[in-house]
Amino acid sequence: MDAHFKPEHYHRPVDMKTASALLAQRGARVIAGGTDLLVNGPASTESLVDINGLGLSYIREDDGLRIGSTTSFSYLLRSPLLERYPYRVIADAAGELGHHNLRHVATVGGNICNAVPSADAPVALIALDAAVIIHGPSGERTVPLDGFFKFVRETILGEGEFLKEIAVPVQPESGACFQKLGRTKVDIALVNAACRLSIIDGLISDSRIVLGAVYPTPLRVRAAEDMLNGKEFTVELVAKTAIIASDATKPISDHRASAEYRREISSVLVKRAIIKAYGRAEGSP
Amino acid sequence: MRVAVNFKINGRDRTAHVEPRTSLLDVIREDLGLIGTKEGCGKGECGACTVIMDGDAVPSCLILAAGVEGKEIITIEGIGENGRLHPLQEAFVRYHASQCGFCSPGMILTAKAFLNRNPNPSEAEVRDVMMSNLCRCTGYEKIVEAIMAVANGEVA
Repeated sequence: MDAHFKPEHYHRPVDMKTASALLAQRGARVIAGGTDLLVNGPASTESLVDINGLGLSYIREDDGLRIGSTTSFSYLLRSPLLERYPYRVIADAAGELGHHNLRHVATVGGNICNAVPSADAPVALIALDAAVIIHGPSGERTVPLDGFFKFVRETILGEGEFLKEIAVPVQPESGACFQKLGRTKVDIALVNAACRLSIIDGLISDSRIVLGAVYPTPLRVRAAEDMLNGKEFTVELVAKTAIIASDATKPISDHRASAEYRREISSVLVKRAIIKAYGRAEGSP
Repeated sequence: MRVAVNFKINGRDRTAHVEPRTSLLDVIREDLGLIGTKEGCGKGECGACTVIMDGDAVPSCLILAAGVEGKEIITIEGIGENGRLHPLQEAFVRYHASQCGFCSPGMILTAKAFLNRNPNPSEAEVRDVMMSNLCRCTGYEKIVEAIMAVANGEVA
């Protein structure tokens, strides 16, 4: 616990307009699951705005998927909607996050809004072209999740704004896969990666390759996608693509791993993600 | 600012008046005196503070007390019935799954919530779920044996 994290006020609004008004005040911070905030809460926090009373814990089908920002990872994992390809990639990531009990508390919105480079959910969701619906004092706006992150712990959220919902568009017939390597199974990612791809007439098409923990924000590597698209799946192609992806990374060295190791592992995880996504696109589990 | 919060714990309705930063763990131990719930790391990593909230095992050190309005909480003090140990407690005794005992309440509550949802788990599933809780004494074998014994109906 951070001894300096001492909010003076706690609010639990039941409508979004009030939530935005409260969040526009100086030192106000959203709390959802609290699993990051209660460990690393900033000293500048003067009030907590608990958004768990806004009815944003759900996953439903609506022109793709709609996921409320306060939905816990275990709630997601219980949803049969995520058994369908390629939505399955969301369950892959949800099942790798933290440990079983933490997933009862941690929320998908929190995992996104904390904007920690190692976060698992954003990588999987960006591979599905997800967008976020942001509620603010002047109403709602929708932005692609890929454009939501500015830097480590920095997002485009402005004064009084909070993440309301994640919208995952209807997916093409495709396979997708999320891969993560942590120091232990319950630790945060040293590197994580996701891939989605379709197979049309035997050729890879419409691929997505996204990496986490190797750049200040989640990293979609379009050059790697271009390498895959329009080609037949071969071991050589996958290897080449993985190198392009790992060359795009700018990892840091820290107590968990060196930059060199993270770059090496990036190519390994991208390889695995492509191979498994391809297999799933062909119908394997 | 203090927030009044009403919740049910071990079947009893309670009201607590908490600071915004107070954790559920602190309310349970300090205000209610239910010290079977332990504080280990305070970061949600060790599982010593695990309680069951609305059916799920959660790290109470990471739960904001102000937010538990209307929740139903069960601590280790609340799982025995009529003066008898819960089967998981009985199994922990029988299989020597406790040494220092500090992790045991959390272990037992994680296992209880899990078995309620998954009455017939595989050992692999139990091991996966029990990653939520750290034990520094037993090496986990006895703990897994105890939980599997309950799952298999060998201790009731």
